[in-house]
Amino acid sequence: MLVIGIESSAHTFGAGICEGGKILANEKEMYHISTSGMIPGRVAETHIRNAALVIGRAMSKANVKFSDLEGVGYTMGPGMGPCLQVGALSARTIARRLGIKIAAVNHCVAHAEITRNMAHMSDPIVVYVSGGNSQLLRLQGSPRRYHVIGETLDIGIGNMLDTFARGIGLDPAWGSTVEKKAMSGSYVELPYTVKGMDFSFTGLLTKALELANTESSEDLCYSIQETSFSMLCEAAERAMLLSGKDEVCVSGGVAQNTRLREMLRKMAEGHGSRFAAAPNEFNADNGGMIAFVAERMLEKGYYTPIENCTVKQRYRVNTAVVP
Amino acid sequence: MKNKGSLLSEGAEAKVFIVKAFGMEILVKSRLPKDYRIKEIDDSIRKRRTKIESRVMYRLNRAGVRAPRLFAAGVFSIYYEKLDGKLMKDSSLGSKMLKKCGMLLAEIHNAGISHGDFTPANIIISHGTPYVIDFGLSEVRNSSEEMGIDLLLMKRSVSSSMFKKFMEGYAETARNPKPVIDKLEEIEKRGRYQIRTLG
Repeated sequence: MLVIGIESSAHTFGAGICEGGKILANEKEMYHISTSGMIPGRVAETHIRNAALVIGRAMSKANVKFSDLEGVGYTMGPGMGPCLQVGALSARTIARRLGIKIAAVNHCVAHAEITRNMAHMSDPIVVYVSGGNSQLLRLQGSPRRYHVIGETLDIGIGNMLDTFARGIGLDPAWGSTVEKKAMSGSYVELPYTVKGMDFSFTGLLTKALELANTESSEDLCYSIQETSFSMLCEAAERAMLLSGKDEVCVSGGVAQNTRLREMLRKMAEGHGSRFAAAPNEFNADNGGMIAFVAERMLEKGYYTPIENCTVKQRYRVNTAVVP
Repeated sequence: MKNKGSLLSEGAEAKVFIVKAFGMEILVKSRLPKDYRIKEIDDSIRKRRTKIESRVMYRLNRAGVRAPRLFAAGVFSIYYEKLDGKLMKDSSLGSKMLKKCGMLLAEIHNAGISHGDFTPANIIISHGTPYVIDFGLSEVRNSSEEMGIDLLLMKRSVSSSMFKKFMEGYAETARNPKPVIDKLEEIEKRGRYQIRTLG
């Protein structure tokens, strides 16, 4: 089934084409971050300008015509309302024009599913880490859903790293500036908060910003990464051992960080478990993963009537069925 | 105690060994190094948690709360009494026993300690009396928030009629139960905060 997927939950407007589980195209345009972070209305305006361009590019990359499309998927949530609206509108427009069905996809499910499938894992612990979300997920029940077995008690890890980077005056370029600076840093003590399988990042952020005047930015970048990633690894380790699973994968924007992947790999392999991550193209927000899940949903009959194709800013992952 | 002993259980954080010393069996809980995190972080966490856990056990012992006796504490290991009995989660419980479990938690709270993981997997019924074990997530702090979470964890682990019996014992024995019970209700109303158990 030839399906187009549209992603617009945060700073990325993406369009992907998928057929038979294969991603034929995966195009995107990003909102350029400034020192004031993301202002939802402005991001949405950027998406509106980029929508037709990105969709057109994906169509020609995949070498398909609009009339070939058999289904459309979009991110229903979670995400920023104004941004989500752009994707939902694009999806409704395409569906109405072509008279095809729509699948309303949960963003977190898409991240977890694309990684789980690319890694050929059946029942892993998914470490889902992005700007707004940081969760440990596991498939359970019938119909299957991703249950949250651990999560941040306050902010997402990506949000924490970005706020920190802006706070100490680094060039805003998402997590990558922190990762680069961290390479030449050494350790300064920062608060470490894990409660069972849950974790918290605000204390760490506050302390790191407080130290900005006395410690070098390299040392702080190194320490904030080592501390927060260690917390994630510890929680994931506990989740893995308590649930008896032998597979761990990492997905979401922060999964692009090589140090985090290295730590999770060491943790998993230390217990004889398998570890995997998807290529970075699929860790960052993208339309391909939405198309991938949408195709499965539509094939199994999970479609949404067009009048219900709205957005849900707080769409909890454990309420979405996994096809 | 050079002899490492035989491995009894392995958790995410620590291994528990049985060693023979002074003619009896002693449990050794060792927090082993994790090679995925840097030594500075690893050492400081393992040291801090071992210290807190031994301090909690010492306090409970001194207050006469039914918990294993602490024999010694090292940097990364603690040595304590081995209890005979069955875990609460593997036992069938009468209302009298549930009430006793509630009284046990009240005594812990009266000693100014929150357990952090007060579930039927961490209570041993030994000779008709419940004992609390595993203080890896405990805190020495009079915080009604943490104490409310102790109640919530138990509430999520047993049936509502069982929890009612449990609470009878708790309310009877706790020195100041009201703020903790109020906090329990408040925590339950919060959207994001969910207590998770792995089944």
